[in-house]
Amino acid sequence: MASSQIGTDVSGLSRLRAALPFSNRDWGLLLVAPGVLLFSSFMLYPIFYLFYISLTDATFAGSVIGGGAELIGLGNYAQLLADSQFWTSMTTTWLFVAVSLVLKVFLAVGIALLLNHVRVAGKRYMRAAVIVPLGFPGIFTITVWRGMFSDARYGVFNTILGRYNEFMSSLSAPELLLFDVPIGFLSGRWEAFFAYVTTEVWLAYPFMVIIIVSALQDVPRSLHEAAMVDGAGALQRFRTVTLPAIKGPVLFASILTAATSFQQFLIPWVFNQGGPSRQNELIIVYGYREAITFNQFGLSAAILIVGIAFVGMFMYVAVRYGGLAEGVGDE
Amino acid sequence: MSALASAVALAASVAALVRSKLVALATAPQRFVVMIQRAIYDVRTGKRTAWDVTKSVLMSLFGLAMVLVLLFPLFWITTASLAEGSRLFNTSGIFPDPSTYNLGAYRWVIFESDFFFVDGDWGYPQLVLGGESGPVDFRWAGTETGPGAVFNSLYIVSVTLVAGFGMIVPAAYAFSRRQFVGRKRILYGYVLFTQIGAGLSIATLVALYSLFSTYGLTNNLFILGLFYAASAIPFNTWLLKTYMDNIPVSYEEAAMVDGASFLDTIREVILPLTKPGLAVVLIFVWLAGWNEFIIAQTLLRPENYPLSVELYNIATEGRFSTPWTRFAAFANLFALPVAIVYFAAQRSVEDGLSFGGMEG
Repeated sequence: MASSQIGTDVSGLSRLRAALPFSNRDWGLLLVAPGVLLFSSFMLYPIFYLFYISLTDATFAGSVIGGGAELIGLGNYAQLLADSQFWTSMTTTWLFVAVSLVLKVFLAVGIALLLNHVRVAGKRYMRAAVIVPLGFPGIFTITVWRGMFSDARYGVFNTILGRYNEFMSSLSAPELLLFDVPIGFLSGRWEAFFAYVTTEVWLAYPFMVIIIVSALQDVPRSLHEAAMVDGAGALQRFRTVTLPAIKGPVLFASILTAATSFQQFLIPWVFNQGGPSRQNELIIVYGYREAITFNQFGLSAAILIVGIAFVGMFMYVAVRYGGLAEGVGDE
Repeated sequence: MSALASAVALAASVAALVRSKLVALATAPQRFVVMIQRAIYDVRTGKRTAWDVTKSVLMSLFGLAMVLVLLFPLFWITTASLAEGSRLFNTSGIFPDPSTYNLGAYRWVIFESDFFFVDGDWGYPQLVLGGESGPVDFRWAGTETGPGAVFNSLYIVSVTLVAGFGMIVPAAYAFSRRQFVGRKRILYGYVLFTQIGAGLSIATLVALYSLFSTYGLTNNLFILGLFYAASAIPFNTWLLKTYMDNIPVSYEEAAMVDGASFLDTIREVILPLTKPGLAVVLIFVWLAGWNEFIIAQTLLRPENYPLSVELYNIATEGRFSTPWTRFAAFANLFALPVAIVYFAAQRSVEDGLSFGGMEG
């Protein structure tokens, strides 16, 4: 990394410093301070304030603003642990993170390998096309997916499944392989969960593909050729050459996308507001709903603080073990 | 170099990038033909076997099929945007009948929705001299309903861009080139917050709403723009810092030996070499202000809604019956300009996203 270059280039730095209008070496802090200030006042301060709300019995917006709420200590957290909805939400959220992560990794590795293969013509254009989902706003793509998962008999997926049924029946396939259309993708618990996961995977795979492709391109071709000369098959080459090269980046990208999956709000909210009957409320939706629909601001704040704590943990792990902050420390 | 001049230069470099990509795309068929001719030649002269070529063709077709499957939702919604007036979910299949394609939905967005002007009642800007609010004033003429959501969005994004760039670029320089008290700690803090974007904003919504109300900052587009800038700071500062790290310090040294002042080195060395990084930051900061809608919907009153909130409202108009064609046309006009720039800068975006400890 280049920051080590800075470390070794002491004479350059000191000459730079000597030419500066300030004598104090800490003047760089002045350049950083406005950003830190803005970030703290709009991002950190609300988190602390949220924590404060979570310790009160605020039940409507007026009591949060007007100070009509009283401090009740950790009561909200105790109530939370006793709330079965909290545990439903937690389980669903973790399941959502885990299932979508596994699918994401397999899909992304597959795409990256294919679009980096010597035999594929036009792979640079395909790579550009494949990361399209990143370029569109979430509200757009997520609403489109909701439309495709429509419960209607002639919704996109139900139509496709209908065609599939016709095709299979024409082959006189057993009843077991057919789908019971129309499927209520948004009105059944696990159907909705399946729809969430599909959409989440589609939204998140481009980021992983980008990271894996850039790791694959760092593997020298000579390494593959050497393995081929040694008589290694495709599978063996994947295990001994490709896998070690992409293991680190995949782990890193997994932690990051898991953190964003954990905070997923738009998919459940736009699809069916975490339904049916609150069974699929991911943690942020749960907290948001307690505040917006039930005016339980104190409880809502407690839920969201728990959510933020988990995300913070993800990021801490990423920074600590994923090497995300490489180049921060070396001076 | 004034801020305006650098903004113009940045816009020019983005435009040049878009142009070169379009040229490359236009000449792609020619290169494709050459590739096929070459393969045929290789088979004829015995350099490659026919089976070898077939394998390549099959793999390429497989890749193409995969791309088509992955992009299916976007293809579907684009065809839907052309089918105003015909029912979308019907017995005839997934895609609307091509013979019914029309631009009615786009006409609706431009002349009836609140996209450009409220209710599509177009007006034009007019300068007023010697008015009540100053010697030179500006107002909309020819429209009875006033400017629409796109102007709110553009206003928010301008605030976000100016505030964001004003804070991100100097800070990235300081992190990359200077030593100061707390550098390591602040940088660590920023890295911790890099991946926490929209989710965190929604999580703190309750607190945000009561804080903004207490300080009387709700329904204020300027403050909202600042808020989005704040949410974009950690990730983009970190990204730009890694970009600057890759510029050798010796370049600045050489410039100084030649008698350049400190500001000269910034202007002549750092900024030109960071241009691709700046372009990526431009896209990300733009997106931060352009796409968000939940905070905007909570803090703003309807007359100040930006495009993203309007889009959300169209999507949820009826509980089960999104007006798909209008939604699709609105969304395409909303997203396409950004998406085009994004793909033009794709290489830089990839470099930017695979930042940090990726080499390890």
